Amino acid sequence: MKKFKDETKNYPLLGRWISWVDKPGSSQKIFYILILLCIACFGLEWTYEKHAYFAIENYKGFYALYGFIVFSGLIFVATLLRKIVKVREGFYEEKSIDTEKYPEDQIQRIDHNA
Amino acid sequence: MLDLLHQIPTAFLFFSSAFILLFLPQGLARNFVLLGTPIIAAIQIWTLGMGDFSQFSFFGFELELMRLDSLSRIFVLIFCLAAFLGNLFAWHLRDTIQQVSALAYAGSAIGAALSGDMIALFFYWEGTAIASVFLIWARRTEGSYWTGMRYLIIQIMSGVILITGVALYYYDTGSITFELMELGSIATWLIFISFGMKCAFPLLHNWLQDSYPAATITGTVILSAFTTKLAVYALARGFAGTEILIYIGTVMALFPIFFAEIENDLRRVLAYSLNNQLGFMVVGVGIGTELALNGTASHAFAHILYKALLFMSVGAVMYRTGTSKASELGGLYRTMPKTAIFCLIGAASISAFPLFSGFITKSLTLSAVAHEHYTYIWLALVFASAGVLSHSGIKIPFFTFFAHDSGRRPKEAPLHMLLAMGITAFLCIFIGIFPNYLYSILPYDVDYKPYTMEHIAGQLQLLLFALLAFAIIYRRGLHPPEIRAVNLDTDIIYRKLIPSIVLYVSFVLTACFKLINIFLVSIFESLLSRFHHSHGPDSPRAASWPAGAMVISIASLLGLALFVIFFS
Repeated sequence: MKKFKDETKNYPLLGRWISWVDKPGSSQKIFYILILLCIACFGLEWTYEKHAYFAIENYKGFYALYGFIVFSGLIFVATLLRKIVKVREGFYEEKSIDTEKYPEDQIQRIDHNA
Repeated sequence: MLDLLHQIPTAFLFFSSAFILLFLPQGLARNFVLLGTPIIAAIQIWTLGMGDFSQFSFFGFELELMRLDSLSRIFVLIFCLAAFLGNLFAWHLRDTIQQVSALAYAGSAIGAALSGDMIALFFYWEGTAIASVFLIWARRTEGSYWTGMRYLIIQIMSGVILITGVALYYYDTGSITFELMELGSIATWLIFISFGMKCAFPLLHNWLQDSYPAATITGTVILSAFTTKLAVYALARGFAGTEILIYIGTVMALFPIFFAEIENDLRRVLAYSLNNQLGFMVVGVGIGTELALNGTASHAFAHILYKALLFMSVGAVMYRTGTSKASELGGLYRTMPKTAIFCLIGAASISAFPLFSGFITKSLTLSAVAHEHYTYIWLALVFASAGVLSHSGIKIPFFTFFAHDSGRRPKEAPLHMLLAMGITAFLCIFIGIFPNYLYSILPYDVDYKPYTMEHIAGQLQLLLFALLAFAIIYRRGLHPPEIRAVNLDTDIIYRKLIPSIVLYVSFVLTACFKLINIFLVSIFESLLSRFHHSHGPDSPRAASWPAGAMVISIASLLGLALFVIFFS
């Protein structure tokens, strides 16, 4: 059997294109693009007139701030929640599928180069 | 031909196809029936017009099997579409049980949505439970057997509560028509709770996260479409404008996002996410205005598509790798790029990015909430929208296809799966760009413009800044890692706590019973032996017994009998 070389050139075309995200420095670029997009989006605030239902919506950047804060809050609360509710994977063993392997006869496990 | 088609209740089309399947060989013929039935049903519904089309008598009750109005039509149409896409995704399947069950399940859900009375509704309601459990059992493992059992018990219980409520409702009002009800009597509360069980209300929700990840790869895609959305339809039909639903829906939209964030099994993450999406729909039903009900119906429509798309993409990964655990996946975009892109489209749709389907449907509900000035509810729902981005928008695609490289290099999903995902993804974008097509089939006339600068900028700000928060948290290593673990939810009450209490109580009771038994037996035995000693054949008294003792005893017994007969 020919040994598969895990090189980018062996991936499908689309996969090769997307693999840009894993190049060194790409994640930094994506991060900066995101910041630019955020700033641009924030700037949009001055381009239209608001017809808000609630007074709070009229503050400039309400959605931006709210989105940022609640998202961060969500992650931290979820981290705390994990401390309370986490148990080992086999906790419900035998009567649940948590530790079972998916039956091999129902799937088609094929490697990319096969 | 069309006239003939119009004579048959839509559900029966599905049931007869399910029956015909049994006589067809596996392969093309079966697949054509599986794909053709939903198409024919959709044509039937589309050409039928509005009205009541099929009545028949059942033990003195007039049942209505085909009540087609603007509310039921949109649900039936999306059920047909979901059945088609689900069956296309399952094209490779050669399992009669799952094929028959998929058709019977879709047929039952459609039948329930078209029922004009609550007795027919009950039959179809139980039909969805019984037909769908086979999609879980078809996995054929011990775990799925037990999970299926738990699922079945809860679903059947919902039906039993429903029929009890319906019986009491009939006793109270003399009517079985399925129409708008008011919460107040025991009857309506029972019906409400029954709908709530299927709709996965908070504390009644665990069956959803328990059972959907336990079904087969294709089974979960089918399951995700019907049961819960049928319940949303039933609530919209029976309890629109019931204020308590606003608060129930808000809790539903909020609490699953925390659990989804830390869950490792991606199909269970999607089940939590499904629960959160149902919350938005339930709030819409609770508000009950035309705008809100349009929001609920359109959200259900769009949701079925993008949720199916997400389940399909995770399912395709599972089909190639055998797992759906985030801790074991990552970096799959390299060799499954198409699946990755479809997943991203599903993620963008559910997160409600502009130009995707979620944006044009969720904003209807949010506007309806704002219009009625529920400030805190609105704030909570905007929070929940950011939460959707966190688990379905980021977690699912990011930890499956990107993030760290798991080293797995699976082949791209098979053609039919790509096709099913492609069509679904196309629909998600099409609805997002051209909302008017969806708006035109909503229950009420729509006078709403989703694409205003204000809406777009507000939504983009919310999502982009939430993404920024994620990027910062992830880069700093503060994001909860994906680890192999199970998170306890309230189902621990019936999965562990009650069984252990029952076990403990039965142990104590058995011990008590044994002790009492031993005590009584020993007393009885000692009494007997004393009696034997004093009155037995070897006792001193035996020698002095009169010879006619037996005759005297029999004579007195007969006398007693005569006495009883005389007076009775």
